[in-house]
Amino acid sequence: MMNNMENVIYGRNIEKKFKKFKLHIDELKVPKGFATALIGENGAGKSTLLNILTGVRVDYKGDIKYFDEQQALEQEGILDRIGYTGPNNFFLPHWTVSQVREICSILFDSFSKEKFDAFSKRLNIPEGSQGVRALSDGNRMKLTLATAFCRETDLLIMDEPASPLDPLMRDMLCQLIREYLSEGNGEKSVFFSTHNISDMENVTDYAIIMDDGSIVEQGFVEELKEKYILVKGEPEDSERASKYLIGMSKGKYGFEGMCLAKDMDKLAGIRVSFETPTLSQISIAVMKQHTGLFQG
Amino acid sequence: MKILQNSGVPIYQQIAEQLKTDILAGKYTEGDYLPSIRGLAQELKISVITTMKAYELLQSEGLISASPGKGYYVNSQDSEMLIEQHMRRVEEALSEAIKSAKIAGLSNDELIETLKTLLSLE
Repeated sequence: MMNNMENVIYGRNIEKKFKKFKLHIDELKVPKGFATALIGENGAGKSTLLNILTGVRVDYKGDIKYFDEQQALEQEGILDRIGYTGPNNFFLPHWTVSQVREICSILFDSFSKEKFDAFSKRLNIPEGSQGVRALSDGNRMKLTLATAFCRETDLLIMDEPASPLDPLMRDMLCQLIREYLSEGNGEKSVFFSTHNISDMENVTDYAIIMDDGSIVEQGFVEELKEKYILVKGEPEDSERASKYLIGMSKGKYGFEGMCLAKDMDKLAGIRVSFETPTLSQISIAVMKQHTGLFQG
Repeated sequence: MKILQNSGVPIYQQIAEQLKTDILAGKYTEGDYLPSIRGLAQELKISVITTMKAYELLQSEGLISASPGKGYYVNSQDSEMLIEQHMRRVEEALSEAIKSAKIAGLSNDELIETLKTLLSLE
């Protein structure tokens, strides 16, 4: 299923250097028609990448193309087709919700006030004469989401949309993403970064895991779940098994780690049990492997 | 359709099984389109790739075909083949039962008795 995928974003040799950090991505593919999650530690370069992809940051090297037409971000009409939500507040602190609504409708051609009202209602955004500054982090994120979802776009890029939301609203966010994809019928795509992997797992089709400025693992979730196997075993076997496991944790009563499916035969003879890992478990193992933290 | 998140059976298999049952039961007949991949994902609150994998499983078994841009439709069903598939599953399950019976030290007669008892309870 995965071979003839079209990409909504295709990037090559994306590079951005900071004093102590370098973002370097040889090849970036975000599949069209799906929800893609960008996963990684704090400081892995997720926001830097998303800022580059949305034009918030323009001082980078590399080549990035969008949509079927393989156009650059600067080309006419491309930005109109992309919705972006970031972790920061975009609105002036004294603007009220209804002023945000008015201003966005001037800024964006496809901004629909009716849709905005509908999303506000579903997201339970408080109305009132208070400025945005009086809103909680969660409510401010909900407002940002409403302004992005109510536009006519083909691609939504969201930086940590789930973080400030409560569980109920995370569920709603997943629902909104699914509706967006369903409405697009294969033409609309979503790309979001998240630390809340388990909350977002049921809406994630493709995952990109970053570490220290590079992509260290990526794939369709169903494929990753076949590539990795969660292995558990007895403490006396932990030495022998450790060679073939990543993100291993050992305890008094046993060990646990992730094994590549292709290495499974090497565990023959060791009494272990197997489980299909969750995306969250895969991500943690891959991140542990690359950061070198928690080893042994 | 009901999906169990923690049943141990992969979700895509649960979907494929239930659609297969629906097709076998005649809920979908030849030429009918199945729900759209993304529509079904939305309905079941799961990811798109999971429903897609379920449909591709059914496609690989020859039950449905893809029509580019339109979705998946039900093929004419060779009922012999479907019965054959179910037969195979019955044999697998029974082999499993025989294995367990051996471990438990059950005699053949006891095993057959057990099956009869279970059948009478159905």
